Amino acid sequence: MNATAIRTLVLGACMMLACAAAQAGRSCEQKHPTVNGVQRSLALAQETAARLDQTGAQVVAIARVGQDLSPYHLHYSHMGFAYRDGKTWRVVHKLNQCGAARADLYRQGLGEFFMDDPFDYEAGFVVLTPEVQARLLPALRDNTRVARLNTTAYNMVAYPWSVMYQQSNQWALETLAMTQEPAAITRERAQAWLKLHGYEPTTLKISAFKRLGARMTAANIAFDDHPNAKRFTDRIETVTVDSVFAWLTNSGLGGAVQAVR
Amino acid sequence: MSSISIRRALVAVLLSANLVTAHAQPNASDASALSALPIAVSIAAPVMIISASAALTVVAIQASATGSVWVLERASDGARVTLTLSGQVVEGVSVGVGTAVTVTAITTGWVLSTASQAIALIPNEIGAALLYNERITR
Repeated sequence: MNATAIRTLVLGACMMLACAAAQAGRSCEQKHPTVNGVQRSLALAQETAARLDQTGAQVVAIARVGQDLSPYHLHYSHMGFAYRDGKTWRVVHKLNQCGAARADLYRQGLGEFFMDDPFDYEAGFVVLTPEVQARLLPALRDNTRVARLNTTAYNMVAYPWSVMYQQSNQWALETLAMTQEPAAITRERAQAWLKLHGYEPTTLKISAFKRLGARMTAANIAFDDHPNAKRFTDRIETVTVDSVFAWLTNSGLGGAVQAVR
Repeated sequence: MSSISIRRALVAVLLSANLVTAHAQPNASDASALSALPIAVSIAAPVMIISASAALTVVAIQASATGSVWVLERASDGARVTLTLSGQVVEGVSVGVGTAVTVTAITTGWVLSTASQAIALIPNEIGAALLYNERITR
């Protein structure tokens, strides 16, 4: 292969890469629901509702297994809060649609929560203490209050101690803090409260090579909110469901994690 | 640039390109496609028509701003059912007049499908209690 041919190939490959980057932010893998998938998702929703009923709780922290995070030694991928609304349960959570750089808050049924193309049909929940529930419940019913600490700019691996971006689990965690501490009316204050109460995020090991690829190809992934000292040593801290659940249990704000399959 | 360094550059670029598909990022807070499965909000017909394994055919379909209205006919006796659905038809699925639809009964209602791909959900009372969708922020 001569130098000209190789140059042409390099150019072609660069163009392929540029195309991929240009599509970032709007690409959304089309998911075709199957009859079996719909049946299993709704069966999980039904079983979860029954289990939540048995707890006697009004509010729980709830999670799903939307992605395979086992390479990162994590189990649940996405969380929100489920609360009792009459005879049914509603989930308030933050969703990033189709890899876009923004995310919004939704109130959904357990059916929609688990129908979103899960990796595994399992729910996890933590029953919060009655005091925590009592302070959180009014906010979950109030669209203005529940959105108070919401930041639209979404980053899947947002740094937990920055307010530049906010991922879904981070919104849930900061909103919990806001409702427990009357002075936590800003994200900075909510984060300070979380630090003070011993919350520790998960540290993911992500190489520079992967970071580069991720940033170039997805609108919803950024690393510029992470401190250089951590970023350049491949340590990416972010709010994961597993870290929130462990903290809730260890701090006494909630009970043990319960799984529903 | 030497031939070797060009080759290395080529390998590096292709490896980077490969990242697009091969290296999933840790999706620590998973995104959502907000499954676009249309859900029946009203049904005009005896519910008996929508029985398990019934073979139905789409005889009319009308889109609206919030969803669509489908008229389905049972092959065996020509009985018809009108469904008002919220949400748009699943992308990549072609549903039109003449489309053959299978009904599968599940605990929470009935799933309409074409070639095992779900195209709509008709919740019963149990299913309806599990479904709700409200966007809080915009």
